[in-house]
Amino acid sequence: MAIEYGLNEEQEMLKTMARDFLANECPMTHVRELMEDDTGFDPELWKKMAEVGWLGLVFPEEYGGSGMNFRDLTILLEEMGRAVLPGPFVSTSLLVGIPILAYGTEEQKNEILPKIASGEAVCTLAALEEDGDWWADSINIRADYRGGHYVINGTKLFVPDAKVADYMLIVARTKRTENPEEGITLFLLDTKEVYGTMSTLLKTMDETRKQYEVVFLNVPISAENILGELHQGWPIMKQIALNTTAALCAEMVGAGEKVLEMTVDYLKERIAFGVPIGSFQALQHRASDLVIGLEYSRSLMEWAAETIKEGDPDAATAVAMAKSFCGDTCKKVVAEGIQMHGGIGFTWDHDMHLYFKRVWTDDNAFGDSNYHRELIAKKLDEIHQLAGGGRWKITSGRMIPMG
Amino acid sequence: MTDEEPGKLEALRQEVRAWLKENLPEGWGSPGYVAPERGSKEAHDLGKAWQKKVYDAGYTGFGIPTEYGGIERSRAEVAVIRDEMQRTGTPPPAGSLGPMIVIPTLLRYGNEEQKKRFIPKILSAEESWCECFSEPDAGSDLANIQKTGVRDGDEWVVNGQSVWTSGSKFADWGVVPVKTDPNAPRHRNLSYFVFDCTSPGFEVRPLKQMTGDAEFSETFFDNVRIPHANMIGEEGQGWYVAMATLEAERGGGIQFVAPSRRIEPTTLGGVDIYVELAKNTKRRGKTVWDDPIFRQRIAQFAIENEAMRHSRERMRVKAIKRQLTGNEQSIGSIFSREKNQRQANMVAEIMGANIQFMRGDPRALDDGSWTYTFLRTRGNTIETGTTEVLRGIIAERMLGLPRSRQ
Repeated sequence: MAIEYGLNEEQEMLKTMARDFLANECPMTHVRELMEDDTGFDPELWKKMAEVGWLGLVFPEEYGGSGMNFRDLTILLEEMGRAVLPGPFVSTSLLVGIPILAYGTEEQKNEILPKIASGEAVCTLAALEEDGDWWADSINIRADYRGGHYVINGTKLFVPDAKVADYMLIVARTKRTENPEEGITLFLLDTKEVYGTMSTLLKTMDETRKQYEVVFLNVPISAENILGELHQGWPIMKQIALNTTAALCAEMVGAGEKVLEMTVDYLKERIAFGVPIGSFQALQHRASDLVIGLEYSRSLMEWAAETIKEGDPDAATAVAMAKSFCGDTCKKVVAEGIQMHGGIGFTWDHDMHLYFKRVWTDDNAFGDSNYHRELIAKKLDEIHQLAGGGRWKITSGRMIPMG
Repeated sequence: MTDEEPGKLEALRQEVRAWLKENLPEGWGSPGYVAPERGSKEAHDLGKAWQKKVYDAGYTGFGIPTEYGGIERSRAEVAVIRDEMQRTGTPPPAGSLGPMIVIPTLLRYGNEEQKKRFIPKILSAEESWCECFSEPDAGSDLANIQKTGVRDGDEWVVNGQSVWTSGSKFADWGVVPVKTDPNAPRHRNLSYFVFDCTSPGFEVRPLKQMTGDAEFSETFFDNVRIPHANMIGEEGQGWYVAMATLEAERGGGIQFVAPSRRIEPTTLGGVDIYVELAKNTKRRGKTVWDDPIFRQRIAQFAIENEAMRHSRERMRVKAIKRQLTGNEQSIGSIFSREKNQRQANMVAEIMGANIQFMRGDPRALDDGSWTYTFLRTRGNTIETGTTEVLRGIIAERMLGLPRSRQ
């Protein structure tokens, strides 16, 4: 697979356009307005994002999309991270839009994708439950087959943008077997057509991205609304997690780079003991460490995005490596950003905490750094087994290569 | 893309594989193979002979213009050759300083005659090189070099002392920045020379380091006469030429990096040796690999190694687009050297009591080379500029922060 590092001319244009667009349409003053709002959703801004082709960026033109690729999408995500953009972009595009494109029936695609692209439909995914844990065993909300259709009962937690979602993808259990990954089904619910769901805003740390508790009480849904196959929803969830994780890495790197820039500017401006504090070696070295961390974060993030774009078999490894490293690094960057700003960085009015909260929330989504590092450890184990106990062997006091 | 002509590449792979089988030292890779003692004349000669064989076979010298003895290969071919050499491992080439630091310096600042005279013999390993940079009072503060050079006709008479001279014990030639204008300001007072190590007045005294080896030396210049023709760059330009050398040394030669390839399924992140080590080491009845802390640490190195691979590729693409300033090399230099050190610490902690066994003790794994590496990596974050100096370079030259000292 040819990995395209850096950006081509078109991508440079997309990046510049996105940065200008967000600076004009969603400056920090507007971010703070949306934080105050219960939905964090600005229909005007959403409409404009549709007009510039962002909402259907990776959909083919036949579904009203822009026909661009996954790497292009991550360029937008980087810019959104820099701007701490509120609203349901990740929910709509990554958690629902791309899965429908990949796994939907022709009918589902024709119905929903053009609406997403035009800005008519906001979507979200209801996956996590009470324990907030990202694994199949935690999916307990039930969808029982009764009288010709399914009936959903239970509570979902940490559902982003539920209040404004026109479509909700629900991860429900349709069968309990030995293997928790079996018997999970994805249902695509048109929220305007049913009664029985109740969304309550959660008071959460990152107020730029609203999350809800959603209670389902005897919500009926027909088998036609299943995405993919009955009982076979978990592999789709894994793919959703993979794509979204790569996108969140881009968002974290964008946020991290912006924090570094803001911090470096501050180090140059702020005078203490009669000199700019950026002349202090203690701070210079800390700032340099952030440059180093972000270089490797970006390298892994670009690789991960490319593997997804290409459908490369390395994608799972690349994304796990990227998430682990970007998570660790960006959490450090936002913490150091606050520290190097001193008292001002700890205030509500300064923007540092918005980045801090966004990055920690992103890191947590779909498994944090430690979880993804463990995935790599498992992979190393697998490779060791595959190679017949490893490519290297310790024999007679020597480590020698086999074969 | 790397597989433009898969048939041709596969043929090359088989060719290299067969060549290695034919040419590697007798018994290479088997438990019975005993390498010559590190730092010995035998090791040096073996490395020199090996590098010459590799060059003669056309397996090195890539990216160097053919008029200076370089060899043209496509990126895909280079990758295949590297892969095969990494697969078996090879004797360490003697005098890697020549290809790594002297060639890039000459390509940038040498005149035509100098390039033609020196580069081919570096590639073929006929001449190996040493680097006389640090002085007792000019380490991290390299601009403080005190060696003096006084012009006498067509020659310069050089006096002074170097310390931490690498590659000096058996070197044929050396590079040395010398203060040629005591009245000029810092950074404008040095000139850069190449000199013949057999020159009268040049003396090498081995410097024993904490590993017990003497890989470096102290070198003394007592009225050493260097022809003016051996000055690289202009008189007074020596600091900048020296910086080119250090950039090459810190960057490890970005131009020689093999292109990106799919992850080899057997060597993810290049940590398979640590997995093997951890699985073969027991602590209180359980293997170290079963300890989640060590699993996480080993996985972290796999991640970091892959990150470094992709970063090098990013830098290569930037270099082609002429978006590099040279300061970026500090990033890779700091990260890789500190990583080596952390990695060695981990190995020491995996091995526990056994890390104590040095070369010569029959209980030492790989004849003590793990212990040697553990000790040797202490120097990694000091040589070619301490990582603190490099952090200062990132801060001042990349981030534009104000100078921290006057």
